[in-house]
Amino acid sequence: MSVSVSASLHELGTAGLVEDYLNQLGEGQPGTFDAMLDRHGQLRPGWQALISGLEALGTDGRQRRHEEIQRLLAENGVIFNRHDETQGRSWRLDPLPWVIDQAEWQALEAGMIQRSRLFNALFDDIYGARTLFDAGLLPTQTLLASPHFLLPCHDAKPSDRSAINFHGIDVMQDTKGQWRVLGDRLQAPAGTGFALENRILMARALPEMYRNAPLKRLAGFLDKYHRTLTSLAYQHRDNPYVVLLTPGPGSPRYVEHAYLANYLNINLAEGQDLVVRDSQLWLRTLGGLQAVDVALRHCDDAYCDPLELKGDSQLGVPGLLQASRASGVALSNALGVGVLETPALADYLPALCEHLLGETLLLPNATASTTPATAPVFDRQMQRLTPTALNLRCFVSRTPGSVTTPGHLPSHYHVMPGGLAWVGAPGSPSLKSPVVKDVWITANTPQPHVSQLRQARGPAVATRDGTDLPSRVAESLFWLGRYGERLDARSRLLREALLRLMEYDQDEIADRLLDELLLALDISTQNNDGERIKTPLVGFSQKRTALLAQFDASTPQALPSLFSQLLGNARSIRDHLGDDAWRVLHQLRQRVSTFSPRLDTSAARRACEDISAQVAAFFGLCNETMPHHYGWRFMDIGRFLDRLLGLLALLKLTLNAPLSPGLALWEVVLATTDNFTAYRRRYRSELHPEAILDLLLFDETNPRSVGYMLKRLERQIDRLPGSASPYRNAERRLLIQANAALHLADIERLSHLADTPDAQDALGQLLDALIEPLSGLSEALSHSHFSHVERPRQLVSMDPES
Amino acid sequence: MNYTLRHTTRYHYDAPVTLCHSEARVLPRKTPHQQCGASALTISPVPQVQAERRDVFGNRVLYFALEEIHQTLEVTVVTPLHTQPLSPLPVNSAAWESVAQQLDNDSRFDTQLYRLDSPFIRRNDELATFARRCFTPGRPLVEAALALNQLIYHTFEYDPSVTTLATPLSDVLAHQRGVCQDFAHLAIGALRSVGLAARYVSGYLETQPPPGQPRLIGADASHAWLATWIPDWGWLALDPTNGTVAGEQHPVLGWGRDYADVAPLKGVMNGGGDHQLDVEVDVMPLTGGAA
Repeated sequence: MSVSVSASLHELGTAGLVEDYLNQLGEGQPGTFDAMLDRHGQLRPGWQALISGLEALGTDGRQRRHEEIQRLLAENGVIFNRHDETQGRSWRLDPLPWVIDQAEWQALEAGMIQRSRLFNALFDDIYGARTLFDAGLLPTQTLLASPHFLLPCHDAKPSDRSAINFHGIDVMQDTKGQWRVLGDRLQAPAGTGFALENRILMARALPEMYRNAPLKRLAGFLDKYHRTLTSLAYQHRDNPYVVLLTPGPGSPRYVEHAYLANYLNINLAEGQDLVVRDSQLWLRTLGGLQAVDVALRHCDDAYCDPLELKGDSQLGVPGLLQASRASGVALSNALGVGVLETPALADYLPALCEHLLGETLLLPNATASTTPATAPVFDRQMQRLTPTALNLRCFVSRTPGSVTTPGHLPSHYHVMPGGLAWVGAPGSPSLKSPVVKDVWITANTPQPHVSQLRQARGPAVATRDGTDLPSRVAESLFWLGRYGERLDARSRLLREALLRLMEYDQDEIADRLLDELLLALDISTQNNDGERIKTPLVGFSQKRTALLAQFDASTPQALPSLFSQLLGNARSIRDHLGDDAWRVLHQLRQRVSTFSPRLDTSAARRACEDISAQVAAFFGLCNETMPHHYGWRFMDIGRFLDRLLGLLALLKLTLNAPLSPGLALWEVVLATTDNFTAYRRRYRSELHPEAILDLLLFDETNPRSVGYMLKRLERQIDRLPGSASPYRNAERRLLIQANAALHLADIERLSHLADTPDAQDALGQLLDALIEPLSGLSEALSHSHFSHVERPRQLVSMDPES
Repeated sequence: MNYTLRHTTRYHYDAPVTLCHSEARVLPRKTPHQQCGASALTISPVPQVQAERRDVFGNRVLYFALEEIHQTLEVTVVTPLHTQPLSPLPVNSAAWESVAQQLDNDSRFDTQLYRLDSPFIRRNDELATFARRCFTPGRPLVEAALALNQLIYHTFEYDPSVTTLATPLSDVLAHQRGVCQDFAHLAIGALRSVGLAARYVSGYLETQPPPGQPRLIGADASHAWLATWIPDWGWLALDPTNGTVAGEQHPVLGWGRDYADVAPLKGVMNGGGDHQLDVEVDVMPLTGGAA
């Protein structure tokens, strides 16, 4: 059903893009295969509607869609890693998908399924009977020299589980249109998350083109994949517990791991979250150890078990291989599959396929001289389509149960109808690619639009955090709360300081209040005797430099460094944060990235205000969208504990203010705690320290008062796991102590604070009596709830390089 | 010969260990020249999990896990064992170059496994040059291998003070001193660097007390040597530390590509701090009676 360019395209107004493309093809190698145009220059099946639609948008329209796609990509965190030292990627998603006709796809599909069956049989021999080596059917020397051939994996996979449950295959088309294999991904087949994400972004950015297109949908594949994983379990077969084992936020693929875990609705676990006991794999959770039935492994083979494999690996779980041998956990894929990725196997596959399967190999490998076919890709300006070489990663998954298709041989594998396509020379890494593409496999009939993927599984924000919340996640949420609050408090203090710097920008009118604020910001520090340790900052310019240094990424404890702590904790719990909260965090990251010590003071003040607003928006969204379960409680405890300690420290500083005793500083306290309006409304009077103290210490209806915050902490801590015990644990005892100090305070004694030394003493004692137990609370919480397990280490270091 | 082998490994940790996964290769394997009786194995504290398997080399591997807090670990194995004299060495053997050539074209797993680089042993020119002092052109393989064994025995000094677990072979060559493990690694590296197959053998050596003195209990030690593949004959075991062919007096524990494959005890643990290690080995010859 090819369409003639000259006639129908012209009527549809698509002549421009296609004719231009055809001209470019003509200038290249005429007669070579192109994905979009056949050798008569006519559109291949399935491209017509897309091309017409994109043409109709015009360059400006396409540019707008492109910008929308990029914005969504950035938010999703696909290019999030650019912020970090880790190698990330920053590709753009082409608005034109790669369309592959159903008939052509079926041939590729059959070849890939055969390849997965072949590799499964090959694994069983290489790590089992080893007959193929002696039969001369394998490159023995190359395989033995490969770091991916793991001798400890010999006979390590229980025979009732297949080695390969998921297989990433990189393919390309050559100039004749023949599909050829570039490589295999078996250890940690990445890319599914990106393929899924590309599809979702296309659907959002180009809904009219996507909605009714006769293309195969992806949703069914991952549902089936989930069933494949659960079907591997040895125990708890009704409801197996599956985790995705990730190397952690340091991995360039971490965002995808979080994405996939969330999509499959399984827990994301790092090696340190897991432990092998009684030959069973367990997850450390708040409620104790949770048996793990299946581990979807996204760590490379050699790093998975420091006992038997790479001894210096910090990513794996000691004893994992033994647990797998003992059927204490099913691993997908089996450890050792990496050796099958060896490129030198390619030449041996035709004979191996005959030998192991009795079939002719369907998909040849690419060779060094294979030239790629062309496919159209939009240029950066969205003006022209350019003939470009593409790589395609496809995903093959084992079919749950044993499915027999009528009239055919049993097929144990099936292929995702789509994949991740990227621009680049054959075999170039996807992460380095500048452009990726969605891949559309045409269907004969319009496919029902399956309600979109993630939404189909309930709320976009999902935490499963009952007591099975991993302890590490609880800890990260706690610190997320603490750093978020610290960032907010610091921004508020800094804003007040900058405000005063602007009001008194002449050296001779020194504002002593500003000096107090510099103290509160710890920019100039005093020791216990009230003497300054750092040299006092003199004059406007010194003070301004000191304040603006708080916007410098290299200043410790300044705003950028607090933010990166916040971000680090947020990233390690990526799959527990809602999309909206994440979007705010992304905006905050962009805002912080504009910070520099060269800001002018009013811009700096606005930056502080933005931070406070964004942090509030972030926690607000978390409160609105996270289930109010243990994970959220830890975050809330972190926030209010930090806020409480910050307020107490500020009050103490105000009380002991060596430079400007008096009301002005109390005003700053009200402003930094955002209580000025509340005070005015309540007291409608001038500033009285007693009234301020009442508002900030005792008023339990004021969310920034000590009384309120203590109550909130108490309520949250009482609802943590283990709190039903009749014995009071350390954190509850500390809270009781702080509460008692507050409630037993002699308010009479605190009156006339401004001019009575006795009242000042009383307040000092009260503050100390509050600070002392609360300072120990963080430690007590982590002792009770977070697993501070020492990193496992080797009895004897076996590293020959050490 | 009939022996009773006793091998005790004892760790004392400075701090409590909360969890420890271990692999022990302390159960001797059967060979054409060696029969083993049932080993009596004692692990203290008693492990929560214990499982035996064969590794890719055919060695017996004992996995055990200690899941309760402990501060010492003791593993003792007592094995009755019977060794037989070696078959006579081949009178004629092919020139070593032709064997190397033949091995190079051999795709069998067991051949290539012991010809390539391994964790502690990397082939290089320096080792090849060393080997060629014995592997002169056209020399029969067995003769050359025996000469290499003698070369190391005569020119290298046994010195337990200089080596650690991971002394690089270049240091061993430069200083001409080391322990049995270094000499075995050196010979293996030399043989592999000229294209031959060689494997590391871990085991024991019966030691003779000085004349007139009784045998000291626990005074023996683990020993290590190597074996090289002689086509149409088998693995020729050489003990460069003693300049002998390893035979009836060399009870075998297991073998691998190098020490890393046959370390007697490996483990990964939580906690522990520093530790002290004691190893006691007895190779007690039994006079008369079967093992």
